[in-house]
Formats: sequence, structure tokens, C-alpha cells
Amino acid sequence: MTQATMDNMPGSGRTLWADAWRRLRASKLSMLCLGIVLLYTALAVYGEAVYRYHRIKDSTPSYQQVDLDKQYLMPSFLQNERAWTQHPLGTDGLGRDVLERLIQGTRIAYQVGIVTSLIAIPIGVILGCLAGYFGGRVDDFIVWLYSTFAAIPGLLFILAIAMVVGQGLLGVYLGIGLTMWVGLCRLIRGEVIKHKERPYVIAAQALGYGSFRIIFRHILPNIFHIVIVTFTLRFPASIGTEVFLSFLGIGVQGEPSWGIMISNARLRLWHGVWWEMAFVTLAIFGIVLAFNLLGDALRDAMDPRLRSGEEHA
Amino acid sequence: MSALVSVEDLRVYFGDPAKPVRAVDGVSFSIHRGETVALVGESGCGKSVTSMALARLVPQPPGVYAGGRVLLNGRDVLTMKERELRALRGNEVSYIFQDPGASLNPVFRIGYQIAEAMRLHRRDVHFREETRELLRLVGMTDPDRAARAYPHELSGGMQQRAMIAMALACRPKLLVADEPTTALDVTIQAQILELLVSLQKQLGMAILLITHNLGLVAGVAHRVHVMYAGQMVEAGLTEDVLRRPKHPYTRGLLNAVPRLTGSRERLTGIEGVVPNPARLPTGCRFHPRCPYARDICVSREPEAESAAAQHEVRCHVWREVEGAP
Repeated sequence: MTQATMDNMPGSGRTLWADAWRRLRASKLSMLCLGIVLLYTALAVYGEAVYRYHRIKDSTPSYQQVDLDKQYLMPSFLQNERAWTQHPLGTDGLGRDVLERLIQGTRIAYQVGIVTSLIAIPIGVILGCLAGYFGGRVDDFIVWLYSTFAAIPGLLFILAIAMVVGQGLLGVYLGIGLTMWVGLCRLIRGEVIKHKERPYVIAAQALGYGSFRIIFRHILPNIFHIVIVTFTLRFPASIGTEVFLSFLGIGVQGEPSWGIMISNARLRLWHGVWWEMAFVTLAIFGIVLAFNLLGDALRDAMDPRLRSGEEHA
Repeated sequence: MSALVSVEDLRVYFGDPAKPVRAVDGVSFSIHRGETVALVGESGCGKSVTSMALARLVPQPPGVYAGGRVLLNGRDVLTMKERELRALRGNEVSYIFQDPGASLNPVFRIGYQIAEAMRLHRRDVHFREETRELLRLVGMTDPDRAARAYPHELSGGMQQRAMIAMALACRPKLLVADEPTTALDVTIQAQILELLVSLQKQLGMAILLITHNLGLVAGVAHRVHVMYAGQMVEAGLTEDVLRRPKHPYTRGLLNAVPRLTGSRERLTGIEGVVPNPARLPTGCRFHPRCPYARDICVSREPEAESAAAQHEVRCHVWREVEGAP
């Protein structure tokens, strides 16, 4: 073998993740979305810090303090006074700062997104892998299980769980988490069925690897992009569900969730108090759009089927 | 010389037990230590299923081991516990497959995959050095670089070398090579076969070579078994089978291989296709395609009989075939 072919051939070792990153970076839109997602994440982390600080000091945070003198203040940037530092996005009906509450809402939204994913992803991945790999009775049972879950109208199911465990975040977590795994489970199952016939799995069996090692060490890394894409697409969906539940009053209690803010804001909307409603919906719009576009871009970047065409071109 | 593997009357069926597809139907053969045995036949004749059965790798369902025994070092593989099987696979019996690119896990580096195969059955080994040693053994010019590469960064021949290194990680006593060169181009084919022959000399393992190309086995295999429609139709020393084929099917296969010497005859194929194993013909399974077929071939199934020393054939009319030009 000549030196020339050796140089651009093996061992230059770009990992598949690095490869996906390179693809993702090539698109300006997806980088913008990534930036927006990171901005929201930073706000959520900041919100969490504020929340913790007040809990440790045992003080009432400003976003909970009622000050009736400051009811319905316009966003300061629309006022001619130089009050920019006061309430940039105005105040609500109890004189609380909208921006601060918006940031706390981001914190709640992230909590819901992350906790529901932590519930749904392990269930979906593990059950999907087992069903796909072992087939037979195991598959029958798991398919029956997720079909049953899928057949119950999601909202009814979440309402039922909220009734059982009581209102509040726990009900939201369980309700969304226990319905969200179904789609992922179905996807993973199908993909594992496809992969278990692949020669590399047969080769792994021929080398004497056990079933669980083959499933979780050999097949799962090959289909993990599905988990990541599903996560990015389900994350905003569960945020939306939480907003909806809180709006109905069965979600978050006593904390500034986006749903509660919308619910409150609609009271005075027809009297010209538009800013609370406007900024909350804008915040939700931004996060849902950014996550969805990012999810699509990730799928394009990581799906080997979409990749191969370009590679051999 | 004691047999390392002896397969006795192996039957592997697929699908509906009432109307089974008899993919392997009463196959017997043995492999001795350090010997190369070739299993030859067209696609769909049951040679791959036979080879998978040696480590009970045929998935059940749809496969069913309907009968027979596979003795490996005297123990029956078909009745082993799952745990014993796993200890055997990759350790005593290893496989390399047709498509090396697809047989390596695309998301891991070569070195990692080889080390993993080693780690499963061996302890207290310096995996890194051992991996490098294996890669050198299979003829990688730059083992360190190959170890760092992902499968897709290697050429087909290199991938097959890496696959062989993985299969040899635990120094198996039997290497099953299921059409190891079919996916490679001709020059690489020769290199891989040479590699297998030289590895066998160094490591002393037995090789079961599965191929549809009779021309390939000449310089490699000690003995040849020819399969047709799930049965062994001819078996013998490579020299005997290639020089003096007794079964019309073997003859047909040989006529389909181009030769370098002798008169330049037209290559002839065998008429027709392998029968659907769900609807096998009566009598001799080859008779619809056989130029020598007569009434008895349609009505009665031939038994395997000894045609010469270490040479078996399953044909009613082999004497006539042998005498024909």
C-alpha cells in the first residue's frame, strides 16, 4: 500500500458524533436554533439559581411579592420615562414583574421537559429493545402494553393520574412521562428488529456475546440517534402539555408556570393589558420552534440513511 | 486422528412444523484437527445453515433442529445450555462472514472490537499488545492505525482481515469461513485465501470453508463436500473430487469453472435452478436438472454409497457418470 492511500484512509478517526456535529454546524438555521435553545437553558439555570437562593434565605422572591401599587405597568421600554431597569416587560395584575416570572416559567418548563424525559426515555428504550430483540411472547406483551397506553386519550390519562397523585408537578411528571414513552418504544422496537438481522449482530452472536450485551452495547449505540432526536422533539411537546395542564389549573400550583401566566393574563386582555400574554406566548413559540427545527436538523445530521447518499456521492 | 467436529445426520427445518422447509436434511461429515474442509454448493443448498448449526446459531424460531447431533470435542452442541454455548462461540468455534463491511459494528473502532472479543473469553492478557499482534498477524501493514480506524475507513480486504483478527482473538480450534471472499474482488480473494492457509499453518486450527466456487477449493481444502438441496451429494479428498467427480452435479459445477490449461471449451452451466426446499422433487433431488436422469432417479431416492476409498456419492448412476467423457 502506498503512503498516499494510507494518509487519507484509516485511523484519522473522526467519530460519528464529530461527523454529525460537522454536518449540524454547516447549517446556519440549526446553529441559530441551537443558540436559542442554549439561551433558554441559561435562563432556566439562572431561574433555578434565584429560586434556590430565596429558598435558602427563606425569603419571598420578588416574582411572588404582591405590590398593588404597581398593578399593570406597561413594559418600561414603551414608556417615555427612563425606567428600563424597573420592569422591562411590565407587571401583572398583582404588580409582579413579568420578566422575572417568565424566567421562572422557563425553569418550570425545563424541569417538566427533563423529568418527563427521564421517565419516558428509559422505559421506551428498554422496552423497545427487549421487544425488538427477543420477539415472541415478550414482544406480544410489550406491543399490547404500548397499544393500550396509546389507545387511552392522552389528556384523560394525564387527568386521571393528576387525580390520583393530586394536583401539582408530580402529577404532571407522571402523566406526561408515562404517556410519552409509547412513540419512542415503537420506533426503537422497529429499529432493533431491523438491526438484529444485520451481519454485525450475527457476528456478535457468533463471538459468544450475551443477549443483553448485544442489545445494549452493540445495537443501542447504532440507533441512539433516534433517542436524541426523539428527545429534542418530545421536549417542547411536553412543555406544551404542561402549559396546557397548568392553564386548566391541574398542573403547577403556586409557582409562575407559563400556563398559569396565560391563564391570569387573559382576565384583563380585553382591557388592553396585552404584554403578559404576548411575551409568554412569544416565549413558548420561540422554544417550541427552536427545539423542533433543531430536532429535524439533528435527524438530518445523524441518520445514517440520509448520510450515506452524500458520503458516496 | 480424532475428529474435532463430527456432524451426524443433522436436520434443520424452517417454518411450519406440519410442512417444514427442509433446509438441511440428514447431513453427516467430520472435521479433523488442523484440517481444511470445504462445503460447496449453489445458493440455497443449505451450506450456510449447516455451518451456522455448528455453534447452534440458526435462530429459533423460525429454525428447528429436527434431528441429528453436532459433536464438538465429543460434546453435543445441539443439547448444550445457553451458557455453555456462549463459552464455546468465539472461543472454540469462530466465524467470518461474507460481507465484512456489514459484519463489523459501524460505531466502534477496530481495535476496540477485537479487544472486546478477546476480553470475553480470556483474562490477564495485555489487550492492547495482543490486539496489535493479531492485526499484524492478519497482515495489516500499520496495526496501530488499523486499530484506531472505524470499519468504514477500511477497504473490503482490510475489513475482512480485521474480521479474521476478531475471529482469531481467542485462538479457536475451528474457524468457519462462510463465503469469506464472495464480496471481495478477485485479487483480494486470493490474498485472503492465502492468509487463511498461512494462519492455519501457524495456529493449527481447523477451517470449514464454505463457498459456491469449486475452483476456489483446489489449493486450499483437504477434503470437499458437495451439497445439493440440503443433502450431501458427494464427499471426498479434494484431489479425487476435482479430478474424478462422480456426481453429475459436481460435474456440472466443475464445467462452470474456467480453466487455465487444456482446450478452451465453452463454459456450461447447469440447467434450471435449485428446487424450492418446501417442494422437493421425488426420488433424487437433482433429477429434474440431471442430464443422466432415468426412471429410477424419479422414483427412488438414492443412498450415499462408497464409490472409492474415502469417496462417497449419492447417485444411482454414478458409474456411468464416471465413465462419461
